[in-house]
Amino acid sequence: MIVCVAVVGHQNNPLYIQSFTDADDALKLHHIVHCSLDVIEERVNNPKRSGTTLNEAFLGLLYPTVNYKVYGYLTNTKVKFILVTTDLDVRDTDVRSFFRKFHAAYVDAVSNPFHVPGKKITSRTFAQTVSNIVGSYGLN
Amino acid sequence: MVEPVNSSLGKMLLEEVSPVVMVLCTPLVEETFLKNGLSFVETLKPFCNFSNIDVPVRTSSDQLYRLKKFTLRLFYASDIRQPNVEVAKQRLEHVITQAGEKDFQNLTSDPPQITDILSNPESEIAPSWFQYYNKELIRTLSFSDHEAFDHPVACLLVVSSKDEEPIKNFIDLFNSNRLPNDGAMDPNILKHYLLVHDNQDATTERTSKVLSEMRSQFGNNECNLLCTNSSKEGNVEHQANPWASFKSSVSADKLGCALTGDDIVEIKDLIQEFASRHIIPYMEQKVRELNQQISATRKGLRNQIKNLWWRKGKDDGPDATKGSISTESQIRILGDYAFMLHDYELALSSYRLISTDYKLDKAWKHYAGVQEMMGLAYFISDQSKKEAEYCMENAFSTYMKLGKSGFQNATRCGLWWAEMLKARKQHKEAASVYFRICGEEPLHAAVMLEHASYCYVLTRPVMLHKYGFHLVLSGDHYKNCDQVNHAIRTYKSAITVYKSTTWSHIKDHVYFHIGQWYAIVGMHDVAVRNMLKVLDCGYQSKATQEIFLRDFFDIVKKTGMKHEVVGLQLPIINMSSLQVIYEDHRTYASQASALVEESIWQSLEDDIIPSLNSGKSNWLELQSKLLPKKYKESNVCVAGESVKVDLEFRNPLLISTSITSVSLICELTANSDDLQLVDKEPSSSILDPKSSTEHNRVTTSGFSSFALSEVDFTLGGGEKKLVRLTVTPSEEGILKIVGVRWELSGSIVGVHYFQSVPVKAKTAKGRKKNKLTPTDALKFLVIKSLPRLEGSIDHLPGKLYAGDLRYLVLELKNKSESPIKNLKMKISHPRFVSPGNHEEDLTTEFPDCLRKGNEQDIVQRETIRTNSVFAFPKDVSLQGDKSIRWPLWLRAAIPGTISLYFTIYYEMENVSSIMKYRTLRMHYKLQVLPSLETSYEITPSPSRLQEYLVRMDIVNCAKSDCFQIHQLSTVGCRWGISLLQPVDTILPSKTLLAGQTLSCFFIIKDCRKSGTEDYKSMSLPSSQTDVKLFTQDGDEKLFDIVNSPLASFHDSERSCQGPSAQVSPNAVDFILISSLAKSSNSSAVPDVPEILSHHSCHNSIRSSSPLSWSLEGPKTIHHDFSTLCEINLKLIIRNTSEGLSSVIINTIDCLLDTASPTTSSGSQSGWRYVPAVTEEMKLTSDVMGSRLSKPPSSMESSPPFIWSGLSSTKVQIKPLSTTEIPLQISVFSPGIYDLSSYKLDWELSEHVSASSTTSSGTCQGIPYYLTVLQSE
Repeated sequence: MIVCVAVVGHQNNPLYIQSFTDADDALKLHHIVHCSLDVIEERVNNPKRSGTTLNEAFLGLLYPTVNYKVYGYLTNTKVKFILVTTDLDVRDTDVRSFFRKFHAAYVDAVSNPFHVPGKKITSRTFAQTVSNIVGSYGLN
Repeated sequence: MVEPVNSSLGKMLLEEVSPVVMVLCTPLVEETFLKNGLSFVETLKPFCNFSNIDVPVRTSSDQLYRLKKFTLRLFYASDIRQPNVEVAKQRLEHVITQAGEKDFQNLTSDPPQITDILSNPESEIAPSWFQYYNKELIRTLSFSDHEAFDHPVACLLVVSSKDEEPIKNFIDLFNSNRLPNDGAMDPNILKHYLLVHDNQDATTERTSKVLSEMRSQFGNNECNLLCTNSSKEGNVEHQANPWASFKSSVSADKLGCALTGDDIVEIKDLIQEFASRHIIPYMEQKVRELNQQISATRKGLRNQIKNLWWRKGKDDGPDATKGSISTESQIRILGDYAFMLHDYELALSSYRLISTDYKLDKAWKHYAGVQEMMGLAYFISDQSKKEAEYCMENAFSTYMKLGKSGFQNATRCGLWWAEMLKARKQHKEAASVYFRICGEEPLHAAVMLEHASYCYVLTRPVMLHKYGFHLVLSGDHYKNCDQVNHAIRTYKSAITVYKSTTWSHIKDHVYFHIGQWYAIVGMHDVAVRNMLKVLDCGYQSKATQEIFLRDFFDIVKKTGMKHEVVGLQLPIINMSSLQVIYEDHRTYASQASALVEESIWQSLEDDIIPSLNSGKSNWLELQSKLLPKKYKESNVCVAGESVKVDLEFRNPLLISTSITSVSLICELTANSDDLQLVDKEPSSSILDPKSSTEHNRVTTSGFSSFALSEVDFTLGGGEKKLVRLTVTPSEEGILKIVGVRWELSGSIVGVHYFQSVPVKAKTAKGRKKNKLTPTDALKFLVIKSLPRLEGSIDHLPGKLYAGDLRYLVLELKNKSESPIKNLKMKISHPRFVSPGNHEEDLTTEFPDCLRKGNEQDIVQRETIRTNSVFAFPKDVSLQGDKSIRWPLWLRAAIPGTISLYFTIYYEMENVSSIMKYRTLRMHYKLQVLPSLETSYEITPSPSRLQEYLVRMDIVNCAKSDCFQIHQLSTVGCRWGISLLQPVDTILPSKTLLAGQTLSCFFIIKDCRKSGTEDYKSMSLPSSQTDVKLFTQDGDEKLFDIVNSPLASFHDSERSCQGPSAQVSPNAVDFILISSLAKSSNSSAVPDVPEILSHHSCHNSIRSSSPLSWSLEGPKTIHHDFSTLCEINLKLIIRNTSEGLSSVIINTIDCLLDTASPTTSSGSQSGWRYVPAVTEEMKLTSDVMGSRLSKPPSSMESSPPFIWSGLSSTKVQIKPLSTTEIPLQISVFSPGIYDLSSYKLDWELSEHVSASSTTSSGTCQGIPYYLTVLQSE
């Protein structure tokens, strides 16, 4: 189950963070997302040698915590998407396609002429789209 | 990279993995040393580290090497056992608590900057007590049975020379059961005998005797004498106290007070000799011995196979290997001894040898221990990194597999591992190791997490996010163990990370908890300071907000004082909403009028304010003379009159908060002492008690010189409120508005300074405004108090119907003693409002006063009303709380929303001030709803030249209300009006419903004498200009439209409805008077309008041709036809157009010849149809139609009459004038003749703006029936 998705700006400022759990663990998830920024930075600064991953936005499994797995995705504008899930065996392809959809939703949201770049995403449509995407992944 | 030996782990290993010396001593020895505040072991401890002993060592190989650094560990025999877990735990806790207390004084300091953290050298990042803690932690695991390096290598027996029987004591000491019952203990351990001689109270003779006895008993080499306490007084002070670092609890000065420098040297020498002469050689020998033994049994192929075979047969578990002399133990001892002697090669080979054995035996603990040592050996000998790490990992996981029992070992292993990684700059890996050894015990976990966090700082690139996260985790754990000081410390460091980010959830959490904890340790002010940061938490859930607020107020209450906080975030002040309203020479009647744009007022006041450049006494000039230049640009306000500041407060929370005592912070300095005006920058430090007292002083000292308003209000969740704050200066001087202060829930005072904020102040001149800096805008020059006029208009309705006529009263009041004079008033919409002529003196009720018969004397208005400025009579002067009531007439001229501006100018009498005059500005808003709309169409009457037919169309445009129409009047004395048809028949209900339309017809008659242009000289009785629409209400008097205010409104209507330049003299103005029907409940307008007037101006007479004419002559004629019957007729032609017109009149006798524009059927003759010739017939609308369709009649026979006289005449008619042309016909027989067989060809040349346009056309004659009868 996906418990949290987040969009983090290129200055590591949170743009959108939404948890999908019933429990009151927003703070914990915030911390997890915040911490994963370090790993993203590390990943980006020391890319693996394999040529195929050079232009890959998908950063893969960032780190496994005790209960969660954190995946990352970096757009060309250095906006980071972070996915926190409780599923223990997740296929990379699933996560990839999730991020692709998520990216599309994000692009739609920030294409809004009234959206101020670098400010929090407040679009309700975006929130709805995201929860739809998350919902569709929660089923399988 | 640091050499492994010099790394912290290397040093640690040198210290921890070193030979243990068991100390056995008598109580008297202890007593001797306690004089120094130290036990025997403690006394010796500082001298057990040898950094340069240089002892040659030869172990297994033939190669000699020199040992440079060496350490001995001294323990009392009683201490040589595995420490109790609980005791160990308590000791660790004690260490942490102590460190926390030590740290306490640093708690108040501000959190460090990130750059500071990053620039710190590696060693300073972690607190210093960490090393100590680690050592203690490792010590809790010492003397475990699966390792050998903690087992005593030698035994030091100490007896004091004061003991009764020293020799016996020596023997007893070793034989007593105080020895640790460790299986691995070698009974033939190296023994060394030491005799302690206390110089203070023992005799040398006895000592030397005992010594010689000892020597003979135990051997010369194994005995030593130690003389101590040479200082008789016991007050030696050591420069660098060697014990200080080992014993922190007692004040370091006292330590070793009885030991002189010589004593210390003696101790040093003794230990060094003991180590180099006895221990090292002994170990050396032991190593060689064991090595030989093992080589014989285990090394070589034969032994290995044998061993393997033998092992297979003996499968009774690890217990069997535990025997003190089992081969495995021996190998382990060999390895450890070799390690301690820094022969890592030998150590490694021996470890390797047994590691497989242990593994095969599944003796996991032993196996892990060996692996651990292998890893360390690899590391310290700087061999394969990979191997070292592999071994550590292996050891760690093996320990972990053992479950709880192995966890402590795992911890030690982890610590070493992490140190190893740190030494190799693999900080990130080290951090993860620390994370893995967290365990369940919170205090332990807290320390380990903190360790981990520091590792993340040391990682390159820095991983600050993880640093912060681990600090927070660690802080939570610390808090769980009640180590609040540590918790605060870690959170404080974490703040560094989160401070500048926008991760508000985390930030709030950190600030809130650190605030709570500061409150726990009693530092309430710091707590409040931290809690302040979380107040603006609108995005948090309501429950969280409640918790935040509740705790915040709790803590604030505990501080017991009202803090003054600069920049309190609750509520949020919207600085862009700041608006300053003050009155200088401009005064405002109401709030609304103050908000009106200055330019509107300026344009309104242009005419009435004395010009700035001309005149002797204009106030600006005076001001510049009177005042130093410095203040020229500051705003002026009057003493006793309040300066108002509007400020918006917003509650960011979902919880409603009460805000009390909101007031401005002001400074008023007297004019004289300019020096005081040096900008007193309010100190911006938060919670500074000084600043709060300073402001108190300002307010208290300034109490007499100005008064502040205090506002209390409650802000609901997310609510915004615009608050009006005032300051009223009572003395002259310079007033500065510095900021605003408020009390939050009665417990904390928030202060906000207005510095460097753009202010929308209403300043005097637009030009000047740009130059003013924001602080200037809040600076006022207070001048002496002046009279101030207050004005209001009574009962001004907000909603009206168009045309509504109201009687209002303007009330002006002057509260001061000095009189004012020269009042003038200007109204922005003279069309809407017209001032009356007298002070209120109406005797009859409105609206009856408008009716005829109530005429009052009318002073000619034109004399005092010039250019829409209304000047009050000269004798109007106000003084001392008197008021005048001046009548005003209001008429809602057009629908829409109308802003009415009134400005009243007045001058002060007997006041020598900068200001000579002031203006009172009033602003009202009206909403005018559409009511009746009228349109008029005037067409010339075809039969009568002086009469016109008027069609009035009325539409009720109101949404729901019904109207009654009463009266229609023409304006001026020229037009008489009469009903063509009573309206009662068309509209019996008398009310016009919403949306209903009505058309009525009237006849108006030009009462001017024809030909005369001067209609003013002629007058018509006014009764003829008004017509009552309903005859039933006969008893009601007609409204007087000439003398009542209706007339003046009509004037302005005229000028508004059409440009006066193009008014044609023939235009007619109508006034329709109506009222709201009594039956309808007026839903749209709050109070019922009593009378509505609808003005329609410049209704010109409309006709298709520019000409109107009539044929005048007799209607009936009696003739005997004896002679030719000649009838004289007169054609009166009027040029209704604006241009010069030339008309050619053609009379047509032979109709067949005429090129008639219409091809008619020709079936009609002129006189076959004899209609009843009545007035009515001709005035019906088909008059025109009959004229167009009937003529020209074609006749077969010769016409029954012929035009005699002129057949064609051309005349020039001036615009708007008439001319008469005589005509004559000759009739031959009696009959009825239609004399329409003429036509008018006209040519019109209009001069419109220099270009002349000509148009032309032809008009057919109008039917004119002439009856000729045969006379008797």
